[in-house]
Amino acid sequence: MDSVLSLILFIPLIGAALTLFTKTRESARMIALISSAVPLILTVIIYLQFNSGLAFLKFQFVEKISWISTLGINYHLGVDGVSMPLILLNAILCPLTIIYAWGENKQPNQFFALILVLQAGVFGVFMALDFFLFYIFWELTLIPLYFLISIWGGPNKDYAAIKFFIYTHVASLVMLLGIFALYFSTGVNTFEIPVLLQAFAGITSPEMRVAIFLALFFGFLVKMPTVPFHTWLPDAHVEAPTAGSVLLAGVLLKMGGYGLFRVLLPMIDGLGPYRSDIITLMAVLAVVSILYATFAALAQKDLKKMVAYSSVAHMGYVMLGAAAFNFMSVSGAMFQQFSHGLITAVLFMSVGVIQHSVHTRIISDLGGLADRMPKLAFLMMAGFMASLGLPAMSGFVAEFLVLTGSYLTLPVFALLAMVGIVATAGYHLWAMQRAMFGSYNEKLGEPHDLAFYEMIPMAILVLLIIFFGVYPAPVMDVFEYASTIIPGVM
Amino acid sequence: MDFGSLAFLIVALPVLAFVLTLAFGNRLPNGGGHIPIVAIAMSFIISVLIFLQIYPNHGTVEQSAHWFSVLNVGIFIDPLAIVMLMMVTFVSLLIHIYALGYMSHDPGQTRYFAETALFTAAMLGVVLADNILQFFIAWELVGLCSYLLIGFWFRKPSAAAAAKKAFLTTRVGDVLFLAGIVILYFNMYTHVLPVVGGHETVYLLQFKTIFENLTLIPTDQLTIITLLFFGGAVGKSGQFPLHVWLPDAMEGPTTVSALIHAATMVTAGVYLVARTFPMFIAAPESLIIVALVGGFTALFASTMGLVMNDIKRVLAFSTISQLGYMMMGLGVGAIIGAEAVGFAMFHLINHAFFKACLFLCAGSVIHAVGTNDLREMGGLFGKMKITATTMLISSLALAGIGIPVSIGAIKLGTSGFVSKDAIILEGAYSYFAHGGVYGSLIFFFGVAAALLTSIYTFRLWFMAFTGKPRQERHAHEAPSTMTGPLIILATLALVFGALTFSPFIHYLETTYENEFFEEIDPNGYIHGLAERAGYHIPEHPIVHLDLAHDTLIMMLPVIAGLLGLAISWAIYHKRMFSVASIGNMRNPLFRILAKRYYQHEIFIELISLKFTYGVLALTSEFSDRKIVDGTIDAISSFFIGGAEVLKKIQTGVVQNYATATVLGVALIALVLSWGVI
Repeated sequence: MDSVLSLILFIPLIGAALTLFTKTRESARMIALISSAVPLILTVIIYLQFNSGLAFLKFQFVEKISWISTLGINYHLGVDGVSMPLILLNAILCPLTIIYAWGENKQPNQFFALILVLQAGVFGVFMALDFFLFYIFWELTLIPLYFLISIWGGPNKDYAAIKFFIYTHVASLVMLLGIFALYFSTGVNTFEIPVLLQAFAGITSPEMRVAIFLALFFGFLVKMPTVPFHTWLPDAHVEAPTAGSVLLAGVLLKMGGYGLFRVLLPMIDGLGPYRSDIITLMAVLAVVSILYATFAALAQKDLKKMVAYSSVAHMGYVMLGAAAFNFMSVSGAMFQQFSHGLITAVLFMSVGVIQHSVHTRIISDLGGLADRMPKLAFLMMAGFMASLGLPAMSGFVAEFLVLTGSYLTLPVFALLAMVGIVATAGYHLWAMQRAMFGSYNEKLGEPHDLAFYEMIPMAILVLLIIFFGVYPAPVMDVFEYASTIIPGVM
Repeated sequence: MDFGSLAFLIVALPVLAFVLTLAFGNRLPNGGGHIPIVAIAMSFIISVLIFLQIYPNHGTVEQSAHWFSVLNVGIFIDPLAIVMLMMVTFVSLLIHIYALGYMSHDPGQTRYFAETALFTAAMLGVVLADNILQFFIAWELVGLCSYLLIGFWFRKPSAAAAAKKAFLTTRVGDVLFLAGIVILYFNMYTHVLPVVGGHETVYLLQFKTIFENLTLIPTDQLTIITLLFFGGAVGKSGQFPLHVWLPDAMEGPTTVSALIHAATMVTAGVYLVARTFPMFIAAPESLIIVALVGGFTALFASTMGLVMNDIKRVLAFSTISQLGYMMMGLGVGAIIGAEAVGFAMFHLINHAFFKACLFLCAGSVIHAVGTNDLREMGGLFGKMKITATTMLISSLALAGIGIPVSIGAIKLGTSGFVSKDAIILEGAYSYFAHGGVYGSLIFFFGVAAALLTSIYTFRLWFMAFTGKPRQERHAHEAPSTMTGPLIILATLALVFGALTFSPFIHYLETTYENEFFEEIDPNGYIHGLAERAGYHIPEHPIVHLDLAHDTLIMMLPVIAGLLGLAISWAIYHKRMFSVASIGNMRNPLFRILAKRYYQHEIFIELISLKFTYGVLALTSEFSDRKIVDGTIDAISSFFIGGAEVLKKIQTGVVQNYATATVLGVALIALVLSWGVI
């Protein structure tokens, strides 16, 4: 078990290389599935062995190899309660996405290889304990998604792909500046994340601390994304193939939230006189994201764009919970990441099926699909209900904890966030009504209901959403402990 | 044997029935409808067994387990909960049996029975919950099931719209309720936890923990919390102004309407106020609002009931109105104390019987004549004797017909009479007599609504069953799976109230007057809460009226009921005079009633479409495209334009690039080292 994290990390990469050289669709998807299923099995095994009760910045399954010793850069991997469930999320979503894309026939070898690279990159971000390594993986995730959009994307794919790439890349560079500033101003001559986090409060100039915080914050903000830095996301989603959208919303956005919990929250107490200003800034961004994206979603004509805006709103809860900075809100925010990954995957898969089946996603052109696609209607309804925060599904657990926790420290912001709840239900149900119910729009031709390989991953996800909504403890306990040990969290 | 340990099965069995019906129903006769019937029957039997076990010594059933974080799941059965459990399982069972016949030709009956099983389970979950969060969770699942069932015939655009309207309107209430829970948690966390804290087993949202420590929470906070809770109840129980979803909820199958109106949904709001009643007692301003909103709703809804022509819509408005009575009954608790819970719950149970019966009768009529429109019915009495008789009995109950005397413990009157009279006389009148400033208003609401209720109830009955048939179709009586439940429910509507009045009220009183509450405050828990909130509940709050002295007061509700019957008889049966001269759209008063006070225009067109969509959503969308994203595009075109210029320095000479790189790195190093120095 000494190098289990490396195995989880590199099996998809090796699988990607193998997949790339396959000749047929059948062998490509089979190798891809195996290469993402093995990490899932390994992840479940270490999840069961994982001990969530260690101290702050104590990691498990640690691997450390000196890499560029003069600069203090190491190949350093490890997991704790902040990262472990997200690794599980990534391990679950990728094989399901590969199954969902079973019918892909445009250059399937490249398609599946890129998904595996993406998976490896995200694993790397969640495992890296060295800022340099962290940054490399962070940037690595951009490349496969860029190609997924620009090769398998919709009509406006070039604009969307380049916008996605440049926007998030610029944000990454700002984050990199922050990392360098942290490295140089602490003077510890190492890129070790735990060491730098502990050294952060020792930086003498409070302005420098704030500058470093804000630089890192910007990188995470754009990734999550938070209003007003979110406009790359709807464009990217609209053009991306379904598998790309599932992974973009399901795991890539979670990197931004992960950055908040891994890097920024431990720094908050070190901000000194600026602490409350920064918290207010985070809370304002969070509430603006929730309300603005919710109302924007209500106005969308394209079903997929609506789902994209719902992601922005849901990630706003992550920010709100982080800003409120107590164990209830923070663990709720962490759980929101996990839960949203599962829920949004169902939504994007549903939209993908509609697009594939009737060749449009414009809500007003649809109508009565439930009549011809009852299986889709069932699973999509489950996904929509989860997304609007229905209890007994995972999203409610997260949102309840975030709202209740936030009210303890940021009451006004918590109440404002609640204003969006009715409108959230509104755009979900309105879309269902127009797209799925009523009499069938005969102009759409004869659609086929879910294929077997589409139904399986969606059904698994719905079951997981209900499981974690009814019994969140397996993941929640881990997050809760992880958030109680962050310094300064009440 | 301790039947309390089986309590979880009351919910678990219908949930299991939901799963089994969904999985295997298609391969079974009646779409698997027998599965939920067996499950709910067993839930009913378990409820009765638990009742028999805890009734003699006013016991409770309490179970609690850790859920996650600081939250628990648990079961809490006290007098309040057990009467609800028995009513919900029993009425739901009868409606399910009836649905075997009613839904037998529907291709979607498997989905129907699965969803009604889940609906029943969710409602039972509401009743059993031992903490407010679990209550809310089940409450939301009730909302989900109502959405699915109102939109059961989803191919009909009106059904899909009604389902959405129901969900969103109740969602407004749910958000208020949720905010109440959030604020309650805050108060428990800041005021109660420091006092009781340290124990692993303290769950701050558990009802008993809340009740035990209510005095630690400031009154103004409790007022906010209870008003928010009441907001939730207003949505779920169709009180003004969130009642608008209920008349539209008729789009589902009639059996769904029966479930919603009698057993599984609208009573949840009343139950919420009853369940958290001590919190309301500790926040008297909220109770006054409960009473006023309830009373107003009772009258307001009955005015609209007068002019509806859809048989189910008339009944829908009657439900809203009757729920108003229940809220009113709870609201007068500020004067009469814990007995208010008994009155309201008694009316709730009686209403469940006669309203389920009325809806099932309406279903039977619709089944037979193929229309909902009262104007196309008539003369059905001879053809459907059982339906007509049972509907007459339940109409008498709804209109509250009876004689205000009792022989021993037996009251002479239909169940609706017994319980509504109790709310108006012993509740509202006592409130008035004790100087509650709003007492007279509430009393007026109660009596006026009673008159109107009687008019529209018998208008419905006379229009449907008497006179000449207004269409050719050959109507016939329903099969016995359908008439059986009607007879049982009509019998209960007739005698349940008369037989059980005093034992019921006394039993319900022990909900908040038992050893647990005596330990908290030996001088009387409810009275103590009132004293702390700055008012006084009299020792014997109920003003006992005497027929000899207070004849007029006592007869008033009865007179109202009989007068209404007479008016309807004269207009709609004897046709002594025609209402066509006033009952048309040229009459502004009639128009406003027929248009339902323009609520559709206000809620749908103004608030939803014009404001939320037209203003908020479209503005957000526009600013996103033009302003937020426009800025990004402007920045990028600036760089692209700049690049056009700058590409001229792309000389292709490697040395130039190397120089630039070195300079750049040096610059970065300089900037960064500024931080160190």
